Amino acid sequence: MKKEKKQFSRRDFFKTGAILVGGVAASAFLSSVNGVLIAGEPSKKRGKWYGIGIDINKCIGCGKCAAACKNENNIIKEPFYFRSWVEQYTIKNDGTVKVESPNGGIDGFTQSIPDEEIFKSFFVPKMCNHCSKSPCTQVCPVGATFETSEGVVLIDPNYCIGCGYCIQACPYGCRYKNPETGTADKCTLCFHRLDKGLQPACFEICPTQARIYGDLNDPQSNINYFLKNHNCMVIKPNLNTGSKLFYNALTPEVR
Amino acid sequence: MPLHIKRLVFTFVGLLVFFIILQQILKPHSFGVQGHFREDAIKENTQRALQYAGKANCTKCHDSIHAEKKEGYHSTLNCEVCHGPGLKHAQYAQMFEGKELPDSLTLIKPNERKDCAICHQRNAARIKILFDTIDNTMIHQIDAMEHNLISKKTKKERRCIDCHNPHQP
Ligand code: HEC
Ligand code: HEC
Ligand code: HEC
Ligand code: HEC
Repeated sequence: MKKEKKQFSRRDFFKTGAILVGGVAASAFLSSVNGVLIAGEPSKKRGKWYGIGIDINKCIGCGKCAAACKNENNIIKEPFYFRSWVEQYTIKNDGTVKVESPNGGIDGFTQSIPDEEIFKSFFVPKMCNHCSKSPCTQVCPVGATFETSEGVVLIDPNYCIGCGYCIQACPYGCRYKNPETGTADKCTLCFHRLDKGLQPACFEICPTQARIYGDLNDPQSNINYFLKNHNCMVIKPNLNTGSKLFYNALTPEVR
Repeated sequence: MPLHIKRLVFTFVGLLVFFIILQQILKPHSFGVQGHFREDAIKENTQRALQYAGKANCTKCHDSIHAEKKEGYHSTLNCEVCHGPGLKHAQYAQMFEGKELPDSLTLIKPNERKDCAICHQRNAARIKILFDTIDNTMIHQIDAMEHNLISKKTKKERRCIDCHNPHQP
């Protein structure tokens, strides 16, 4: 029996090669157009879909947001449990970066580096990014953390088994294990306040209005106004988490 | 069908039925209605207690202070930034009008130097332009170790509110 051997000429090789390379390049191009703002798609086009904006230029680092968060959500007042905290970045003249966050900024900041050595310094308030493709909800083995249709990532404390996978998975370090209940805990964008038409505590308290939030689905909302008028960026866009926390004046040192 | 295949089929069907029954028993109410989670958890998340009352609430009773503050540099500051969470205070005062507030519900009055310094202490990270505040200034900073002490030598301190009205600095 003679087996028919398929001829794969050099011409065919180049042809398939070109198609493959072209396809990869085209898809790479298409996804790169999918910029920061449309990194996440709302689960429904109607209704609210919350996004958050933080203006680093306006933050004066008073740490009142971190304190307000702890008061509002009854978080243990020990210095390692934060849903919302502030970091002080100081870039020295020699290019090294120093990040400080004593007690999350609640007691205020002091500059530990003399003024002559500082190239640049700024505060970065941090909180849950409420990602639309969040790694933390994907790893949960029991379905105890999820994204609501408003785009808020929540935890079901009655169903959480405290395995801690989500704490590992969050690239922004926004989750912690509540030592009282043994379950994972995180920012809920003050879901109980949103529900009653109030602002989340940290937004309420900010003395310089450095934080805003709003409905990304509504073209007239203040978050869309903020995004249109500032050069906004999310932290770690390369991870494609679909983060909905947009920073104005974010520099690459922040991570 | 050979006997051993039949036995295998019976075992598998049995296990499947057992699994389905077990799942029905163990699955919590409202799981999977909106996705892979309990729908009730959304409602439970909205039922926590509030602490902060919000801007509008304080002005109802303390309108003179609000009017005073509105004119000054601290106009963008919310009352609760300095005085702490005040929903319980507001609710109590509303319910028992004219009654003395219990000590636990009187709000803190941050009149120490360090309370003002938390925002006003000189810090390189704080030098920036605040476009939305009065006449586009930065946050004005002082050195709390130097600014208007009683005596520079002994470092004896004076409270900021002796000279500045906190509601209209
Ligand atoms: C329903 C009316 C009401 C509302 C609303 C209200 N208060 Fe009061 N507040 C009072 C009364 C009454 C007193 C007691 C006055 C006194 O003892 O001289 C008081 C006293 C205070 C004091 C002084 C306490 C002291 O030790 O002297 C502060 C500070 C204060 N309120 C802040 C606030 C803040 C901040 C809010 C907004 C969350 C607020 N209040 C909302 C009625 C109200
Ligand atoms: C910059 C921080 C700050 C802000 C913002 C602020 N307060 Fe005060 N407030 C103080 C301080 C400090 C005192 C204590 C003054 C004293 O001991 O004489 C005080 C005292 C008070 C008192 C007691 C009055 C008295 O004469 O003893 C009331 C009532 C009060 N504040 C209400 C308000 C309300 C209402 C608002 C919002 C409109 C507000 N405060 C915003 C810092 C602030
Ligand atoms: C939560 C942060 C915060 C706290 C606490 C705070 N301030 Fe301010 N203060 C501000 C902001 C924001 C401004 C407006 C920006 C500016 O003009 O500096 C301001 C403005 C001022 C100014 C006017 C500066 C100018 O332009 O001449 C004075 C004076 C002042 N504050 C004094 C005080 C005193 C005294 C206290 C303590 C009772 C205090 N502040 C507490 C945030 C704060
Ligand atoms: C002896 C009274 C006195 C005391 C106490 C005092 N100040 Fe002042 N402060 C002044 C005077 C007067 C000015 C305006 C003149 C100036 O710019 O130095 C001023 C200016 C300021 C300014 C505006 C600075 C600028 O660049 O325009 C700030 C902010 C301020 N004070 C905050 C504070 C804080 C915070 C405290 C407490 C740590 C405090 N002050 C204590 C009298 C005082």
